[in-house]
Amino acid sequence: MIEVQGLHKRYGNFTAVSDLSFAVRQGEVLGLVGPNGAGKTSTLRCLAGIIPASSGSVRIAGHDLAADPIAAKRALAFFSDEPRLFDYLTARQHLNFVARIYGVANHEAIAQPLLEEFEIADKADQLPGELSRGMKQKLAIACGLLHSPQVMFFDEPLTGLDPLGIRRMKNSIIKRARAGATIVLSSHLLHLLEEVCTHVLILKRGEKIADGTLAEVSARFSNGEANVNLEEIFLRATGGSDI
Amino acid sequence: MLRALLYLRLTSFKNWLIARARRLRQPKYLIGAVVGCAYFYFFFFRSFSQSAGPRVPRAMTPEALQAMEAAQASLPVDWLPATTALGSLALLVFICFMWVVPAQRAALGFTEAEIAFLFPAPIPRRGLVHFRLLSAQFRSLVGAAVMMLFSNRWTIIGGNVATHAIGWWFIFSALNLHFSGASFTLTRLTDLGLGAWRRRAYLLGTIATVFVATGLRLPAEIAMPALGAGVELQPAIDWMVTLTQTAPLSWLLVPFKLVIGPFLAVDARHFLFALGPALLVVTLHYLWVVRSAVAFEDASVDYAQKRGARIAAWRSGERRPGTLPTKARTAPFLLASHGRPELAFLWKNLLSTWPYFNLRVFLGCAVVIVCSSLWLNTQPEWRPLLPGVGIMALVFGAYALITGPQFARQDIRSDLAHADTLKTFPLAGWQIVLGELLTPVVILTAVLWLTLLAIGFTFYPVSAGLAWLTLPVRITVGLGLAVIAPALVALQLLVPNAAALLFPGWFQASRMRGGGPEVIGQRMIFFFAQLLTMLLTLVPPVGLAALVIFILQWLVGPVAAVLVATVVVLVVLLGEAWCGLWLLGERFEKLDLSTDLKS
Repeated sequence: MIEVQGLHKRYGNFTAVSDLSFAVRQGEVLGLVGPNGAGKTSTLRCLAGIIPASSGSVRIAGHDLAADPIAAKRALAFFSDEPRLFDYLTARQHLNFVARIYGVANHEAIAQPLLEEFEIADKADQLPGELSRGMKQKLAIACGLLHSPQVMFFDEPLTGLDPLGIRRMKNSIIKRARAGATIVLSSHLLHLLEEVCTHVLILKRGEKIADGTLAEVSARFSNGEANVNLEEIFLRATGGSDI
Repeated sequence: MLRALLYLRLTSFKNWLIARARRLRQPKYLIGAVVGCAYFYFFFFRSFSQSAGPRVPRAMTPEALQAMEAAQASLPVDWLPATTALGSLALLVFICFMWVVPAQRAALGFTEAEIAFLFPAPIPRRGLVHFRLLSAQFRSLVGAAVMMLFSNRWTIIGGNVATHAIGWWFIFSALNLHFSGASFTLTRLTDLGLGAWRRRAYLLGTIATVFVATGLRLPAEIAMPALGAGVELQPAIDWMVTLTQTAPLSWLLVPFKLVIGPFLAVDARHFLFALGPALLVVTLHYLWVVRSAVAFEDASVDYAQKRGARIAAWRSGERRPGTLPTKARTAPFLLASHGRPELAFLWKNLLSTWPYFNLRVFLGCAVVIVCSSLWLNTQPEWRPLLPGVGIMALVFGAYALITGPQFARQDIRSDLAHADTLKTFPLAGWQIVLGELLTPVVILTAVLWLTLLAIGFTFYPVSAGLAWLTLPVRITVGLGLAVIAPALVALQLLVPNAAALLFPGWFQASRMRGGGPEVIGQRMIFFFAQLLTMLLTLVPPVGLAALVIFILQWLVGPVAAVLVATVVVLVVLLGEAWCGLWLLGERFEKLDLSTDLKS
C-alpha cells in the first residue's frame, strides 16, 4: 500500500532524509520514531505529497506520487500535529468543503457519525475560534477521514487531546487498520506506539536505523534480554541522543 | 525593580535592532532597505538640509512672495492663532473619544510574554504601570520621529526638525498618559455604578453646553460663516480662533494649547517658553495615572490574548488585523458534494469576506444606479451633472481595477498559511490557484459591472467631437468591457498571487508589522512590479483591439468592429490568464514553505 524507495530530502546543504526505503502493507500500522530532528516530519510530508522529495520514489495505493499525484492523494489523508483550520468555517462547513474537494457523495451520512465518534457533534455549528485545541484536532481528523482514505499519515496525533480523547484516538486508529487502512504514525509517546503499531521504523539524522515488526526490532536491540520495551529499544538504537 | 524593567525594554530594543541589521544579509531585506532608504532620502531627509534656517525666505519665488503678501497672512507667526486653535480642537476631539468610546475595563497593553514573566513576578502594580509607561515612551519616540518627517514639510508652522520632534513627543506622551488615566478613571466610575451610556450622556452634554455657552458669548461681529460653495477661508479661520479664545471653551482648551505649544513654537525663544508648561501638563498626567491605577490584570490578559491571536493570524496571512470572525455565517450558496472542486474555494472564501458581498446587494445596487440615473435624466437642472458622474464612475472603475487586488485578498495570499493542507487535496496546482482566485474575481468583477452600469446610464456625448459615440456604440463598448472584465481582473490578481508564490519569503516579510525602511522598500518594489507586469500583459490585447477596430470600422461599421475586437481581447486575455494559472499551479505544487520562507 505504501512503497518507499531511496527517498532523499535535502534543504539546501542539509540532508533531512537519506536513502530511506520501506513498505507498509494493508492493515499495518507503522510507528515512525526518532529523536528530534531525525527527519520524521520531513518523511511524512514527502509521503503525503506536501513537499517534493529530492529523489527517490513513493507509491501510495499503487499510484506513483510524483507521476500521478492526484490519484495518490485521493487515497491518502495527512494529519499534522497542529490542526490547520479555516477561521471562518464552522465544523460542519469544514466537512462540507472537504466533501466537495474529494467528491464524497452523501457526505452528511458519513460526517454525522464522524462528528459523534470524535464527540464534537454538539459543536458542529461553531467556528474553530470557539473550540479548544483538542476539539480542533478532532475536527481536523474528522475532515481527513471523511473520504475514507486507504492510507493515513499521523504526525503526533495525540497532541492536545485529553486522556479520553487519546484512548478514543487509539481505538479509532486500530479500528481503521483492522478495516484495511494502512497507517504511518509518528509520535514521541512510545507506549502509545507499542499499543497501536504492528511495525516500527527508527530514524536518526535522516537515516533508517531499524525497521520491522515490534518483535523483530526488539530482538535486534534486546541483546538477549526478555521484556525489553520500546523505550529501551529506542534509547539503545539511537544511542540515547536528545533524551 | 524599575532598573530590571528598563533593562528588559532596552535589551529587547537592542536585540531587535541587531536582528534587523543581521537580516540585511538576506537579499530580500537588503534590496528593500536600499529602496526604502532612497525613498526616505528623496522624500524626507533631502529637505532637511534645505529647511535649516528661517522658513519664510527660503525657496520663495517672487510670485510666491507676492501671493503671500496678497494673502496678508503667510508667516508661521501669523498662522499661530489658527494652528493653535485647530490643534487644540483636534486634541479635544481625541480626548473626548477616550472618555466616550471605551466600554471595557481598564487594560494595559502588555504582550503575552510580558504577562507570563511579569505578572507572576513580585512586582507591585505600580511597577507594572511604570513598565507600561516606559514602553509607551518608546512608541511615543518612534511616533514623534515619524511624524516629524511629515510635519517638517508643513510650511505654515515654524520651528525646525528638533522642535518638531520634541513637540510631537509631548503630544504623544500626553495622549498616551491621558488614555491610561482615562481608562483607570472610567473603571473606577463604572465600579461606583456609573453606566457607559449615562457617562456618555453627561460628557457629551457637558461639551455641548460649553460650546453653546461659548457661542453665546462670541462678539456680535464674529458670526459663524454660512456653509455653502461661496464660503471664504479667512472669516472661517477668524471665527474658529475667536471661538477657541472665548470662555468657557478657552478654559477647557488651556491644557491642550500648552501641550501643542512646543510643536507650534515659531522660533527657539517661543519653544523654550513653551517647554515648561507642556512638561507640567505631562507630569500632572503621569501623577494622575500612577495614583489612579486600578486592577487591570484580568482585562490586560484578555487584551494580550486577543492581540496575540490577531497578530499571529495576520502574520500567517489568514486575516486582516482585527477581523477574526466571532460568529458563524450562513453559507453563500448550497455546496453540493459533486461538481467542480474549484467552486468549493469560492464558497469557502466568500464565507471569509464581508456578508454584504452577495447577489442581493449587487442587484440592489444595480437597481439604485439605474433608477437614480433615470430620475436625474428627467430633471433638467440635474441632467448636466450626469456626464460628470459618468467620468467619476470611470475614474473609480480604473482605481478599483488597479488597486482592487490589494484589497480583495481572499485568495492564495490569505491561504498561504494553509498551503500544507491544500497540497494534500487531490487537485492539480492550477485547480487550487483557479479556485482561490474565484472570490476576488467575482467581487471585483461585480464592482466593475456596477461601475460600467453607472457609466452607461450617465454618460452621453456633450460635444460634437464625441458624436460618433452613438447609443449602439456605447452599448456595445459597455457590453464588451463587461465581458472582458472577469478575465482582466483575473489577470490583475495573478500578479500579486504570483508574488506570494514565487517570492513567499519577500511576500511574508512585507506583511510584517513594525517594518523599517526595508519593509517599506519591499512593498514599493511589489507595487511597481505589479504595475509593470500589468502594462506588459495589457499591451498585446490592447494593441490588437486597436488594430482590429481601426481596420474593421471602415468595412463593417464601429459596432461590429467593437464586437470583433472584444472577442480578440477576450481570447488574448484568457490565453494570458491560462498561462499564468498553469505556471502558478506548477509553482504551487513545488512550493515548500518551510524552505521558501527562508529565501
